[in-house]
Amino acid sequence: MLLETRGLTKDFGRLRAVNSVSLEVSQGDVHAIIGPNGAGKSTYFNLITGYHVPTSGEVIFKGRRITRLPSHKRCKLGITRSFQITSVFPKLTVYEGVLLALLSSKGITLNPLSRAMNYFKDEVWHILEDVGLAEQARVRGDSLSHGDKKRWELAITLGTGPELLLLDEPTCGMSPEETEATMVLIQKLAEERGLTILFTEHDMGVVFGIAKRISVLHQGMLIADGEPQAVRASEEVQKVYLGGVA
Amino acid sequence: MQAGWLKQAWWLILAAVVGILAPHIISEFYLMILGEALIMSIFALAFNLLFGYMGQLSFGQAAFYGLGGYTVAMLLTKLQFNFWLSLVAGILVAGIVGLIVGYFCVKLRGIYFAILTLAFGQLLFVIIYKWHDFTGGDDGIQGVFPPEALKAPISYYYFILIVFAASVYLLWKVVNSPFGYVLKAMRENPERTEFLGINIARYQLMAFVMAAALSGLAGALWAPFYRSVAPFHLMWVKSGEPVMATILGGSTTFFGPVVGTFLMTFLHAYVLGFTYFWPVIMGSFILVVIFLLPGGILGFAQEKLRERSFKAMTPEGRDQDAP
Repeated sequence: MLLETRGLTKDFGRLRAVNSVSLEVSQGDVHAIIGPNGAGKSTYFNLITGYHVPTSGEVIFKGRRITRLPSHKRCKLGITRSFQITSVFPKLTVYEGVLLALLSSKGITLNPLSRAMNYFKDEVWHILEDVGLAEQARVRGDSLSHGDKKRWELAITLGTGPELLLLDEPTCGMSPEETEATMVLIQKLAEERGLTILFTEHDMGVVFGIAKRISVLHQGMLIADGEPQAVRASEEVQKVYLGGVA
Repeated sequence: MQAGWLKQAWWLILAAVVGILAPHIISEFYLMILGEALIMSIFALAFNLLFGYMGQLSFGQAAFYGLGGYTVAMLLTKLQFNFWLSLVAGILVAGIVGLIVGYFCVKLRGIYFAILTLAFGQLLFVIIYKWHDFTGGDDGIQGVFPPEALKAPISYYYFILIVFAASVYLLWKVVNSPFGYVLKAMRENPERTEFLGINIARYQLMAFVMAAALSGLAGALWAPFYRSVAPFHLMWVKSGEPVMATILGGSTTFFGPVVGTFLMTFLHAYVLGFTYFWPVIMGSFILVVIFLLPGGILGFAQEKLRERSFKAMTPEGRDQDAP
């Protein structure tokens, strides 16, 4: 088991955003978390990455309790995330962003005198080619299209050398072509790099297209968890969420 | 490759030649002004490591500048200490106080960071100002002489020039290092940077100490150059100088603070020759730059160049994207 949460709960004042969620994510899985708006998906993500501290419950990564570990330490352990609101570096070039992630993951960012550009040339190009951004290597963040920003985001995330990758709405705001390309990419990453991917998504086509396992949150609670077919068949899920979509 | 390097660095070579020949061309008065501009440029570059590169506005940077100056002045006048070791001590004292002050400041961002640095700066100013027995209070310290070999203005000028060149080289290395990239990333997006596995506070503290030590070096150079120090060297007004110079020259470029400092220092010296209302002229000047050259003089020029090269590049890029 790569990641496990036990009875994970988060209150914001009187609102219980995440309510006792116990969930297991297996190594190498592409695992979707779905649910209507306000179901607690983002908060659940934030508890795993360390942005929020849970009210109660535990987060366990590779058998180690990390419930109260700060984000940057979790990142070093191999948990990393992309952001729903694309939140990148407007004045850095695409190349520099990925380089930075690699420098950080290899632990040489404290070096103040060597030349950053001399490091990891092959690795940076490899990642940029993987996500299809090699052409834009010299373009600055603020000049990228929305879809490219998302891909850059993913490339930066890959640079940190993650084992568990959390993607928050990876295809949000993308055109159908971009969405298709992103799905292919996510599957490729899981297969070729052996990454475990946990993602939220509102596009059911994407979810049922690539997820091997689906967990459904509703009002902060886990109401279904299993193979796509089983989740699709669940009456409760039909009732609260999928409606006529599936 | 060789020619490409020359194409990029011709103006650096030009600047070095001008710097070396200057004492034989300009009057002694303007040589003093040039020395002052070089020292203040080190100060402004140190400030811009925090402002332009890390994205935090320090409004108490003069405290470290002043501490560097006071350390040298007190060691030289009270203990007749070795000149070179006094300079090192000036850097160390500024750096150590920077470590303490920075520890508290780096927990904050934006205006809160600025205000806290201002508060610490003023606190140190008041201590030096009021502690008459130890620091000389508002009298300051006079008779701070460099060693015999550096007493002539021209030799002290060359000494400043060497230290300036070394500081520029060192800072250039730092901002292009892995550490420098972390600073830029924190400026752009601290939250995202943390998710790259970066402990923000730790890196900001390191940069803060570097900037404090370098400001201390500038102050340490200043005291024997001007033969004295005074409490106002630590005051917020002095902290405002690198801020203005950097905004004038352009905080997004490496040499922006130097350009701004040179402009300010020489304008000051020139205008003071016929009027005491130099702040009015300086103020108008800054207004003009902010409205006509957003990003500062060098910043504006760089952005224009970038746009031009981007436009020149786009047609090819488009061809590849076209279906």
